[in-house]
Amino acid sequence: MAAPSSSVQRNNLLYRLHLEALNRINVSTAASESIRSQSPPFPPPVSSIRLPHRDAYLIPQVLEYLAKKGYSRTEAMLRRESAHQDAEGRPIITRAEDAGGDAYFKGYELLSRFVDNVLDIYEPELRRLLWPLFVYSFLTLAADYYPKDCSRFMQTYREPFEKEHQDDLRALSPITLPEHVQTNNIAQLYRNNKYRLTLTNMAFTTLVQYLEAHDREGGSVIVNLIHNNLNIVTVDRVAVGAERSLTKLLNQSRESDVPAEDEGIPGHNPGSANTDRNAPPVLAKLALGPMPMEPDLMEDVKAELQEHDAANPPAPGRNSLVEEFEQRIKREPTDDVPSRDTIPYPPSLARDVQMEVQKIKENRDRFKIEGRTGGVGPGVSVCMFTFHNTFDSINCLEFSGDNLLVAAGTSESYIRVWSLENKPLTSPLDAPNSQPCSSRRLIGHSGPVYALSFSPSVALPETTTTNGTSSNISNLTSSHPHYLISSSADGTIRLWSLATYTNLVVYRSHASPIWSLSFSPFGHYFLSGSADRTARLWSTSAISPLRLFVGHDADIEAVAWHPNSAYVFTGSGGADRSVRMWDLQRGTAVRLFTGHVGNITALSCAPNGKVVASADDRGEILLWDLAAGRLLKRLRGHAKGGIWSLDWSVESSVLVSGGADGTVRVWDVAAPEGKVGEGKVVAEGGSGTKVDGQGTAAAKKGKGKEVAVSADQISAFPTKKSPVYKVRFTQMNLVMAGGAYLP
Amino acid sequence: MSVWNPDNITDVAESVGVGTLQKDVVEHLARDVEYRIGQVLEEALKFMRHGKRTTLGTQDISQALRVLDVEPLYGYESTRPLRFGEASIGPGQPLFYVEDEEVDFEKLINAPLPKVPREISFTAHWLAVEGVQPSIPQNPTSADQRHQELLPKGPGANPNLAAISGNDNVAVKPLVKHVLSKELQLYFERICAAILDETNDEYRAAAYASLRTDPGLHQLVPYFIQFVADKVTHNLKSLFTLTQMLQLVTALLDNPSLYIAPYVASIVPSVLTCLIGKHLGSPDRDGPTAHFALRDFAASLLASIARKHGQSSSTLKPRIARSCLKHFLDSHKPFGTHYGAILGLQGISGSAGIRTLILPNLKAYDLVLEQGIADDQKKEQAQVVVAALMRALESLEKDAVNVMNGHPEGNELKEKLVDTIGEVLGAKVFETGRSSLISAVLEKDTTV
Repeated sequence: MAAPSSSVQRNNLLYRLHLEALNRINVSTAASESIRSQSPPFPPPVSSIRLPHRDAYLIPQVLEYLAKKGYSRTEAMLRRESAHQDAEGRPIITRAEDAGGDAYFKGYELLSRFVDNVLDIYEPELRRLLWPLFVYSFLTLAADYYPKDCSRFMQTYREPFEKEHQDDLRALSPITLPEHVQTNNIAQLYRNNKYRLTLTNMAFTTLVQYLEAHDREGGSVIVNLIHNNLNIVTVDRVAVGAERSLTKLLNQSRESDVPAEDEGIPGHNPGSANTDRNAPPVLAKLALGPMPMEPDLMEDVKAELQEHDAANPPAPGRNSLVEEFEQRIKREPTDDVPSRDTIPYPPSLARDVQMEVQKIKENRDRFKIEGRTGGVGPGVSVCMFTFHNTFDSINCLEFSGDNLLVAAGTSESYIRVWSLENKPLTSPLDAPNSQPCSSRRLIGHSGPVYALSFSPSVALPETTTTNGTSSNISNLTSSHPHYLISSSADGTIRLWSLATYTNLVVYRSHASPIWSLSFSPFGHYFLSGSADRTARLWSTSAISPLRLFVGHDADIEAVAWHPNSAYVFTGSGGADRSVRMWDLQRGTAVRLFTGHVGNITALSCAPNGKVVASADDRGEILLWDLAAGRLLKRLRGHAKGGIWSLDWSVESSVLVSGGADGTVRVWDVAAPEGKVGEGKVVAEGGSGTKVDGQGTAAAKKGKGKEVAVSADQISAFPTKKSPVYKVRFTQMNLVMAGGAYLP
Repeated sequence: MSVWNPDNITDVAESVGVGTLQKDVVEHLARDVEYRIGQVLEEALKFMRHGKRTTLGTQDISQALRVLDVEPLYGYESTRPLRFGEASIGPGQPLFYVEDEEVDFEKLINAPLPKVPREISFTAHWLAVEGVQPSIPQNPTSADQRHQELLPKGPGANPNLAAISGNDNVAVKPLVKHVLSKELQLYFERICAAILDETNDEYRAAAYASLRTDPGLHQLVPYFIQFVADKVTHNLKSLFTLTQMLQLVTALLDNPSLYIAPYVASIVPSVLTCLIGKHLGSPDRDGPTAHFALRDFAASLLASIARKHGQSSSTLKPRIARSCLKHFLDSHKPFGTHYGAILGLQGISGSAGIRTLILPNLKAYDLVLEQGIADDQKKEQAQVVVAALMRALESLEKDAVNVMNGHPEGNELKEKLVDTIGEVLGAKVFETGRSSLISAVLEKDTTV
């Protein structure tokens, strides 16, 4: 390639000389101009600039010749032109942009040097700039067809991001060609959106000044990148207050692998789901109170409770059931409850009355967990169900609400239901002389089963009924969950009857594997989250979805219901990693929470409706305040690998989690004393931080794997080599945990 | 350059009939293939994650291919990881291939059926009860979980958590290092040496005098107590050492400028050992009854401790009384122990204790005494115990309210006494003939 183009160059020169000789007119150096153009559509003819060695002395010779012949203007012209070329005739690059792929190396190098040396107070903020600029430099290199530079860039600078952005790096690193940039999800996500980042005024000014002062060494490249791809929100440090106070920022620098709440691709104004930078700071108002009861149902329940009270008067000092019921109804003010009319439910049945009555009873009689008393958390009892001989084929586990059934979805596409009390599971369709068995297989899916959900049910003790003989059968029918739904990689959801253990309905609409599924707290509706990036709301009675919740930029990996069933939550993996809260009636997003650094693996909303907990596969649990739309706290302690399940105690004071590290952990939810924001700073900062910080820093240096356990953890119970797939608080505040023993 | 070897591209191209490919095209394609593989892996990892597994399987790959709208690779379905073989096609040119066993069809048909894999089953156990993990075989032992970081650390952490979870054997480092001055260290060494020096009485006396009066010893108190505990445990055979240790404790207790109360709990065990120890001193060297003197000393020391510090620790007296009584009631213990226990009880609880704790048990104890007196070897010791019991009974006399209005005479009285406190003691008491003592002993009948 080199030879023909150099001859072009030489021909060009001769041609110019010829013109000069003939017309004595100036010719612009169009050829060299085109070489300099910034983003060539094809590989820049880098080698074409290089003249063969023997031509190195050509220019002085020509100049000499021109001077001798008296072509003074041409001589001056040639002198001017050759001043920008080095001895070998290559143009001397002064502007960094002209350096081709190298520009991004220079620019990035410049920036990271700046961030390393900048004042401590700006460093944590500015360090957050490195990741988006790394990604955008890399993607620009790939899109501009510098395949070698592109992979070299990745190799050179990826190391500092290995911890926080492991997944993104893995997804981005194979990209080398423009076509890849066009098709890769994550690349598209970054290129089509602006990365939002909040900087304080001073930090931003310092950055801009530095970049302008070092314009030539690559500053302009960075300025371009920032201008094109980043959405930098500048805030006044003083005005924002404690959230960006110096202490907070300095604390953050220690855990610098954690993005701020409003940072990232779905960057947003904290709390609001509105990603617009100029969005009004008004949050959509939420009705987080419990769903009011149907009046008929309420009457029935009250009557039933009165009967119970008459039959078994309460022990002295205890509330009667009716009083308990009244308290429960009256507890909430009326302004924040959702309207019953907006979400239609089928009329209540005798079964619902019985369930409500039992709930009231349990509410009175249960072991109450009131948070940390006397400095120590409550002692929680955990009953562990370990599955053997699974050969890692169990994908998910689910316990029924009446604590009588457990279902497992397997990678062999079938579902298996066991009776926890080892009672035979019979169906009226059984052959008359078939052997009763305590487990049944539900076969129908054509792909691994990823999620299961039982329709709601409540454990009814068998002694509740007055007439002893026929009670058994009526109890079974009334307290058993009626349905089980399952979702699979084949993109279908199936509804199974638990009376006959047969498939009743197949719901088809999702185009991709369905990762997550959940029944509404009142039954009838259910929600599914799929790899097609949508969550869909279904009613058991219709075969097409009622709502589509669209907005996530990656797979929806976890779904959950708000306890009043007026809202749902979705959590996503991939590059999105946000938790969104949707209004069920309107189908719009009402809250958006970002801050996770791993794929979200579990979601759960507190029974009091005020806090949602989300867990990721890096072993962090984040608690979000729904009304304010802000992060409450981070709970750390689980090892890497996924927290598969979360659940709340009935009082919403204790959270329990189980994960791939084979532990069940119990967390104290109650925020530290005082205001949330300040309390957090006290907990993390204050006088004790210095020691702590050094300790953790040393630990980090020593062993990279060590996880710092946050002080909110009440206890941790390891299992014997059994990852915990499911944890569940029963209505009586006992924890049931399920896992598979994997020797 | 790309990890994917461009030669493969050429090979594949040739196999589908594209003879010549430009080098650029090959490289471009190689990069693309590499990217596509990454894409498939990325997708497959998702399936692995949702299968809650940590190993990527062939199933995941085929699911990923299906999602990417590519026909899955058939024939690799296996839950076992694939085995790769390596062959060399030339120097430095390894060729990798999937090992594919050749199966003899005839053999396969005639082979017996393989075992049916075990059914999936579940077991239930308590992972935690009231916040504590029970140590049952289903739960991991503390050794298994050592590598795991289970409890919060640092200043915000709750120190009670560790204790609750049962792994509180973490060495707690004191916040302030206990610094002893050179002088004090020297003093401590000298005192200890002096006390243990059997030959130099003067020296020892001076040491005790110093301990009794010196005001600046507070820092040394824990060290002395540790020293006492140490010596007592290791020198049960040496009456001298034991006595000196008791002396040392006495001296410390006598020192008006020391605040001993916090250390009482750690002093008492040593003193109790000297009081009710099974075998104190060596009978060959010191004579069989020499240890009684030590026990007397210990009893009086214990009594004074209880008197002084009984108020500050509500459980101190009951605890001492309980251990004394336990040893008294244990008939397998030697008489020395019984003797000490009696003295201890008397010292701790006075006559009321004797009335309620010893008197009711004397009848049963009589058997032991009789056997002891009958046995020549133990006779001497038994006599001492009888004397101690007599003394104890006599103490009853002092504060007994004589409410009894006369009592039977002669043999009838003796019988009654024997009936109450046993043969040996009954006779003894009867012999004394003191009516007040007799009535004090018999008073029990009326009070109980």
